[in-house]
Amino acid sequence: MVNKLISGALGKPIKRRDILKGAGLIGMAGVFPAIITRPAFAADKPTVVNSIRSLSNPYHATWNKGGAAFAKSVGADYVTLVTEGNSEKGIADIKAILAKTGGNAVINVDPNDSPDARPIIDAAKAAGAYVVTQWNKPADLHPWDYDPNYVAHISFSGVPYGKAMAETLIKKMGGKGGIVALGGIESNVPAIERKKGLMEALAANPDVKLLDYQVANWSATEALEKTNAWLTQFGDQITGIWAANDDMALAAVEALRADGRAGKVPVTGIDGIQLAVEAIQKGELAGTVAWDPYWQGGMGLAIGYAAKTGVFDPAKEPKEHREFYGKGVIITDENANTYYAENIAAEPKMDWNDIWGRVTGQIQYD
Amino acid sequence: MTLDASISPSQSAKPTARRRWRIAAWAPLIVLVLLCGLITLINPNFMTFGNMVRISQAAMIPLVLGLGATFIILMGSIDLSVEGGLTLSAVILSMLVLNGANSNAFGMFGILIVLLVGAGVGFANGVIHVRLKIPSFMVTLGMWFVGVGAANALLGGMAIRINDPMIRSLAIERFLGFPLGVWLALFCLLIALIIQNYTRLGRYIYALGGGEDLAALSGIPVGRVRILAFTLAGVFYAVGGVLAAAQLGLGNAQIGTGRLFTTVTAVVVGGTALSGGQGSVLQTLVGVLIVVVLSNGMVLMGVPPSVQIGVQGLMIIAAVALSIDRKRMRIVK
Repeated sequence: MVNKLISGALGKPIKRRDILKGAGLIGMAGVFPAIITRPAFAADKPTVVNSIRSLSNPYHATWNKGGAAFAKSVGADYVTLVTEGNSEKGIADIKAILAKTGGNAVINVDPNDSPDARPIIDAAKAAGAYVVTQWNKPADLHPWDYDPNYVAHISFSGVPYGKAMAETLIKKMGGKGGIVALGGIESNVPAIERKKGLMEALAANPDVKLLDYQVANWSATEALEKTNAWLTQFGDQITGIWAANDDMALAAVEALRADGRAGKVPVTGIDGIQLAVEAIQKGELAGTVAWDPYWQGGMGLAIGYAAKTGVFDPAKEPKEHREFYGKGVIITDENANTYYAENIAAEPKMDWNDIWGRVTGQIQYD
Repeated sequence: MTLDASISPSQSAKPTARRRWRIAAWAPLIVLVLLCGLITLINPNFMTFGNMVRISQAAMIPLVLGLGATFIILMGSIDLSVEGGLTLSAVILSMLVLNGANSNAFGMFGILIVLLVGAGVGFANGVIHVRLKIPSFMVTLGMWFVGVGAANALLGGMAIRINDPMIRSLAIERFLGFPLGVWLALFCLLIALIIQNYTRLGRYIYALGGGEDLAALSGIPVGRVRILAFTLAGVFYAVGGVLAAAQLGLGNAQIGTGRLFTTVTAVVVGGTALSGGQGSVLQTLVGVLIVVVLSNGMVLMGVPPSVQIGVQGLMIIAAVALSIDRKRMRIVK
């Protein structure tokens, strides 16, 4: 193809197909280096980088906003890397940005998969950049083994929040009845933890019966189908629906609506997306938990930035500051309006200097 | 079912092959009946009117998507842009009708625009496929990502709630006990049947699938038929997008996830050959019902979640194995 283009330049006639192919090539060249970056004018300050799965879900889109807000607050260059669910691309993009900045960078990464964390940390340590990981990393990879470059790992335990939502649901049901539960992908750690929390709450409430637990793979479409089948199978026995995330919870609400029962059977989700908060305001959803991705996107960078600029020395911090569970916000009809006004209607206000403010204990691996 | 009599319109076209074809063409329907019987034995709730309504609700979107895909598969091509067309349509619809994000309220006009968008996506598929001679597999794979990507770009990762009562009525309002969306899907089936059996385009599509060289030699405008078929399929995907948005009450970029697999499975399980030329939209209806009844039934029968996906896979192999006509096949790739 290149030969054809060259021969075209040398005077041979260019066919229409060749022009299209060339245009296609140029198009692809624009797409592949998906590093959205601005010229590095503030070269003395570290470039701050968020590496996330995609910008197509509300969760990571909000994450990205938090990152941009932090970067603006310190006047650093901000770069967003998107893995699109591809581990190789995620690692390669991070290596590219390390090379571009010469290691003068702070990276806040939600690794696409747990094993990805190791090559990312290795590359960053070699280049001298500082890294904060969130959600996924191998259990035997610890920040204190990579002082000072691997600053911290942040995660959220699904157990207490899965349990808190089940308790919210059971309270709405008046302490008795039958519930059905929609789970996430069976092998996902958050799905396993949230289910564990649900089971703990059920064990403590013997009057509430778990009619069925089905895996809907985090998907609204699948959740709608499963809920429809349940409405046939159990009918009025269902007095509550627990879902492991908001997408599935909202789909369950729609299935109830088609049955004329929306708002009558309480439903809970987890994640705290905007539509879920709105559904709580309308009384169709009983509760959700917000992980505050705005905080994750900004604070992950703030912690790394503070370490990189010498505000604190990671090596001297206790282990519960290096591998910690963050704090989720439980939203029910009591605080939904306030939460909506402060976090969704307005840009959330964060104190980026309060870096350990949401530490709720060291991560436990069993 | 009253549809039985016309289950395989290809029969009339091949009088000599009639006897051999009979069992193969009826196999999917037999499978469906057996499946319904088995589930009813285990859980009698299956055969209630309420559950029939729920099955029809679950079947309406795969049916509309499957109708579009049937025309493409009948030509011996494949269309992977199902999710792209559906997602883009659903997202654009959610932005045009009364919604929670902007002040648009185009109502019916919004639906027309969405159908045009679907037609445009399909038309682009067809033109690129025919004029640049790129295999349909690659063109539509690309268009899948273009569609989802465009939907992403429009929404920036957010979801838009649909408040338009007309759109929501497709999922909520009922006529004779069935949601309006189900009637819309049946109306699409009727249109597809008419196109398949009584229009030149429909007959040409069969001719192309049976042998494109012969069709071209006998003066059929092959390129134009292909472009039209892809455009038609795009319109069906757009209808699927409208229904999906109505059902979930929102438009987001993940609304199409997983639908391609269901669509192609339903078409193939219904007995439409991937090699083209054999099958019909009514067989797709049977295929859709098999897939939907199976997933509904497994929940009713209490099959553990981890086993369900495996059972679905076995079901596909079994249904295709029953409906395939081995005598006419020399090579299997």
